[in-house]
Amino acid sequence: MSLDDLEQQLRPAFLAALAGDAAAYRRFLDAISARLRGYLRQMLARAGRSEASEAEDVLQETLLALHLSRHTYDPASPVTAWAHAIARYKLVDHLRRSGRHAGNLPLDDDAFQLAGPPEDAAVEARLDLARAMQVLPERTRRLIDRVKLQGASVSEAAGAAGMSETAAKVAIHRGLQAMAKFLSRRGVKPS
Amino acid sequence: MRTDDLISLMSASSRPVDTGWLRRATWLCALAALAATAGLVLLTLGARADFAQVWMTPPVVAKAALGASVAVIALSLFHSSLRPGLRPARRLPLLALPFLVAAGWALYTLAQAPAEQWDALIFGRHWRACLIAVPLYALCPLIVLMALARRGAPVDRPLTGACAGLASAGLATIAYSLHCPADTAPFLAIWYTIAIALVTGLGALVLPRLLRW
Repeated sequence: MSLDDLEQQLRPAFLAALAGDAAAYRRFLDAISARLRGYLRQMLARAGRSEASEAEDVLQETLLALHLSRHTYDPASPVTAWAHAIARYKLVDHLRRSGRHAGNLPLDDDAFQLAGPPEDAAVEARLDLARAMQVLPERTRRLIDRVKLQGASVSEAAGAAGMSETAAKVAIHRGLQAMAKFLSRRGVKPS
Repeated sequence: MRTDDLISLMSASSRPVDTGWLRRATWLCALAALAATAGLVLLTLGARADFAQVWMTPPVVAKAALGASVAVIALSLFHSSLRPGLRPARRLPLLALPFLVAAGWALYTLAQAPAEQWDALIFGRHWRACLIAVPLYALCPLIVLMALARRGAPVDRPLTGACAGLASAGLATIAYSLHCPADTAPFLAIWYTIAIALVTGLGALVLPRLLRW
């Protein structure tokens, strides 16, 4: 699928997601993550790293960043360019943190154009996100586990935890923020 | 955690998002910072003694206009730099305009004046004060803009830092024009430009470290 087609498909979904449509958001995230996975694998391979789990790590970090930066999207601009700029930032950040000079990274717009979804689907990420979850308060972690592992809806999980649906969404949002912060600080100072 | 789980989590907990907040916050923060900085100038230095008589004269208006035009252009770039994918660097050349106008006016003034007056026109008695005051007062808006930048997603952090520095220096120029008693065009074109450049450099060097995300 060309970048233009992807844009045609993703933009309405993302605009609906910004207005609060969870199903549209899910469609957007599924499509953009397949695209970004291809892009990140290709770029990491060029930098001499071909382990798929590493690309999955950067992908998860990128998705977190997309999620937490939704308010920075300018509705008049292409959503693929927005997502690509964030992915590139997280990729450069990842390479720099892991000791590779990011200046070596070749211009990458063509890779984003060409990268289709990879043949094999998602691989297991390494443990980064699992470790990030350890920084969350117990209550938030249980909430996240209910939604993520048991496939409960947020309102069900909120009911089980004895809180309102809004409070549960806020708690999960804060949890995602804390995880993103943990990931972006990792490796900056020795821990 | 599998990527698919992360996606479920994010979509299940999503709520409506306001994409206009960043723009409103940028301009409101700038206005608030300008008011605070002007208040600070009035409290610490006071308005110039003859402010009531001269505030509508071209040199005083020119100082404020230079500050305002730099601030408005820089703030617009700053705001775009917090939104990934917009490439505001392409609009950077716009920033040269106010400085070129000031430089043109300064050259014209110098050309009209006899050479023995150049020293007075360029240096006056206050050039050191300008070089110190503008960067110091610019720290106030700079801190406000930095706090705001942390709420955005700056993918080009040196650019965001430089634009924040430029905008802060522009706002500080407006505020300091309430006090600054030097009224010649060459003074404006030289010392204010240098002071603004200092703050821009400071922003470009220091802010990137504080804006990682």
